[in-house]
Amino acid sequence: MVKQQEHDQHPAMHPSRRTVLKSAAGAAALGTSGALGAFSELAFAQANLRAEITKIPGVGKGAPTDADWQKVGELCLGPTKASIKEGEFKGVELSFMGLNNQNLHNLLFRGFLKPWEAYTGARISWIDLAQADYNPRLQQAIATGTVDFDILEMGAPFEGDVCGKGLASEMPDWVKKQIDVDDYVDYLKPPVGTWNGKTYRVTIDGDCHNFNYRTDIFSDPTLAKAWKDAGNSTDWGVPKTWQQVQAVTKFLKGKKIKNQNAFGYLDAPKPWGGFGFYFLGSRASAYAKHPDDKAWLFDIDTMKPRINNPAWVRAIQDVIDALPFEPADQLNADPNTTGFQQFLAGIGSMIPWWGDIGQVAKASDTSVIGDVVAFDILPGSDDVYNSKTGKWDKLSSGPNHAPNCAYLGWGVYVMARVNGDEKKHKAAWSAAAHLGGKDLSLWMVMYPSGFQAHRTSHFLYDEWVAAGYDRKYITSYLNSQLASYNHPNRAVEPRIPGIFQYYSIAEDELTKIFAGKVDAQTGANNIAAAWEKLTDQIGRERQIGLYKASLGV
Amino acid sequence: MRLISMQNSVPVSDDLHHQPAAKRARGSRKIAGRALVLLASLGFLLVLFIQILHTTGTSTAGFSDWRPILIAYPVWAVAFGIGQVLTRGERGQRALFLLPAVFFTVAVVIFPTIFGIYIASLDWNLSSIEGPRFSGFDNVRGMLNDTYYWNALGNMVFYTAAVLGEYAIAFGLALLLSAEIRARKFFRVVFLLPMMLSPVAVSWMIGKSLMEYRFGPAATLARYLGWDNPAFFASPWMARFSIQAMDAWVSIPFIMIILLAGLQAMPKEVQEAAKVDGANGWQSFWHVTFPIMLPVSITVLIIRIIFKLKLADLVINVTAGGPGGATDTVSSFIYRVYRDRSNVGYGTALAMVYLLMIIVLLTVLLRLSKRWTQKIV
Repeated sequence: MVKQQEHDQHPAMHPSRRTVLKSAAGAAALGTSGALGAFSELAFAQANLRAEITKIPGVGKGAPTDADWQKVGELCLGPTKASIKEGEFKGVELSFMGLNNQNLHNLLFRGFLKPWEAYTGARISWIDLAQADYNPRLQQAIATGTVDFDILEMGAPFEGDVCGKGLASEMPDWVKKQIDVDDYVDYLKPPVGTWNGKTYRVTIDGDCHNFNYRTDIFSDPTLAKAWKDAGNSTDWGVPKTWQQVQAVTKFLKGKKIKNQNAFGYLDAPKPWGGFGFYFLGSRASAYAKHPDDKAWLFDIDTMKPRINNPAWVRAIQDVIDALPFEPADQLNADPNTTGFQQFLAGIGSMIPWWGDIGQVAKASDTSVIGDVVAFDILPGSDDVYNSKTGKWDKLSSGPNHAPNCAYLGWGVYVMARVNGDEKKHKAAWSAAAHLGGKDLSLWMVMYPSGFQAHRTSHFLYDEWVAAGYDRKYITSYLNSQLASYNHPNRAVEPRIPGIFQYYSIAEDELTKIFAGKVDAQTGANNIAAAWEKLTDQIGRERQIGLYKASLGV
Repeated sequence: MRLISMQNSVPVSDDLHHQPAAKRARGSRKIAGRALVLLASLGFLLVLFIQILHTTGTSTAGFSDWRPILIAYPVWAVAFGIGQVLTRGERGQRALFLLPAVFFTVAVVIFPTIFGIYIASLDWNLSSIEGPRFSGFDNVRGMLNDTYYWNALGNMVFYTAAVLGEYAIAFGLALLLSAEIRARKFFRVVFLLPMMLSPVAVSWMIGKSLMEYRFGPAATLARYLGWDNPAFFASPWMARFSIQAMDAWVSIPFIMIILLAGLQAMPKEVQEAAKVDGANGWQSFWHVTFPIMLPVSITVLIIRIIFKLKLADLVINVTAGGPGGATDTVSSFIYRVYRDRSNVGYGTALAMVYLLMIIVLLTVLLRLSKRWTQKIV
């Protein structure tokens, strides 16, 4: 332990020349305000720590190992040491349930928490789950009253199932302070992470669909000429609206780029355990999410589905119209196919996806588009459907944009079952706070972890460049996310119980629509009928209440 | 005591060995045995009753979970066994050989089936705050109007009918491998390999790699042969055939190996007699080999149909039931209802009805096949 403390003090006392230069501007500002003193030492220490951890092992220097995770965890123990005495939790046993996707998530947490266990004396046992097993395991634990975990890694869409049923422990104020909740980007601030005004979640991830596009295709002079020759009055370039996306997709069919067939937008019609519905949502949000209305999936007061309103039906019709211009087997493509087997492999020129595409495009050997990809918020629409008036509105501000904040990212939650035991309660929250710490989170969003940027402090581009990222690339990537997160008309996930059941039912019906068995309106009506039935089964009045709570109305 | 003397008498004489087993216990022991069984049964029922009252909220007394009932069951079973010995003497001892199997079957087959029927009668979505609600036959009524279920059943008719095709190919291969060909043993092993692969591995190796539209060798070959857009899973019938082809690839070796065993057990004289009588190849197959092989064929077909009716893994992995439900199976649909939608009551009801359908279908098949095989034999 002594060694670790020395290590922690070291950077504070002896800031390196490089860090001093980096922090010079801030230090100077503080100096002029007369605040330079102990505060500046803290600032130096933190800047130094951030620079130090983001070099473990260094971007482009191979995948981080368990030793790296432990090292980062140890270096980030400062806030824990400030509030917890060494050995304070001796004898406390905690159970942690989370994912093991791509050997990330829980595997990282183990490494990060090892030094925490060594310092506090607590012991953690692990329940690792594959993504596909996660929902059933969680739902069964809730339904059968067999919650056998104290700390839970969970996505915000499940908050309705867990927090809505009183199964989570409310976050103590000292944790809020330790993890600096004010640093979260706007859209992850309450109501996200809260339920009926109480805060439950330590956010470790942020999610939204951004627009990934190929720069080479949209700057290709041959295609630009062909575009003009085809009679288009606008310039050849990156589509800004869904109307343009459709036009470009139809235009690119049969064109060649670098001797390969060019394709435009890639849809993902094949079901993907409910997650595929987000991709229709990304096409629909600009049509369906009106700036004057918080809701876009259900009517707030009745939970009447909007999936069969003209906006959603238009988005579904867009997919039907675009599919003949996409690769021949697109009907059997799920989002995993469009993202990892098509777009990253050089097929198609536009897809919506979570931040994974941007993380993998540069770093992975399988990607061939690392130098020709850029990012933006999702396209807008020239008009937006107003559910209240039943009419399409043209906004005076121009096209309506509504970035799809799909899934809202992962968080760490402490379960209510620790509430009866003060020591255990404090230990569980300390572990959660350690994982969601400000500095540790920077490392997590820079390296393969399964998590993406979610704090305002994650958008200090110099830190990314210092860690080894290309400035132009990372600026484009982070800007697209920041603009989505902070967009005033962002379309936010309804965190109601059973939300994935709604998505899963919709996927089944959508596959029938896309296969041509039913038309868009009939299929959408079928989804709406099934959703109504599901709402009644789960409990309409309660769903309405939870839906309102999730939208903060 | 006779029993003790039996145990001590070594070696056991033939006379003793063939003694009828009806060594009855004495009256007092009988009473003790009956009393033990009665007491144990009453105790077990009492604990069960208290726990049911507790669970339904009628009484506050009870256990926090059902674990004590789980312990009470084997305790009761042991008491029942002892009671049998005390009451029925040696016949009771014999019963002890059977009773563990009976109790085990009751615990892991009969009770879960009955409990499953109970679950099937509930309106139980795991996300529902009220928890399970009794809904009688609502789930079955819902099933009757569920187009997805009927669509999946329709697909099952196709998949099941395709078993005949698999059988024909397997028979051909079995005939080849039973003939005097070179490297016969090598081919037998090679032909068995697909059966040893997990269907999940097959769905990735073949469905998602070999038949992949962009880089899959099967797609490349198809392009070379003149098929412009070799999309194996994009149109309904093509997708259905592709799934069936993969399943056939995995399963044909199983049919083949059973038929091969049958062919090898077939007396050579019959074939030779047919030859002597001047039968050509086809005639000797159709009039001699095929009829003799019919009992084996029926058996293997029924086993194969049972397996086929459970088809799910390939579909879930490769097409997720699509396009537009064209490849959906009943099992893959139930998987979605139960797993993706946490609709426990409805999912169980679908599974129970499907179980009933399978039982009825197989009973009919077995009866029919009995007639045929009896006629032949």
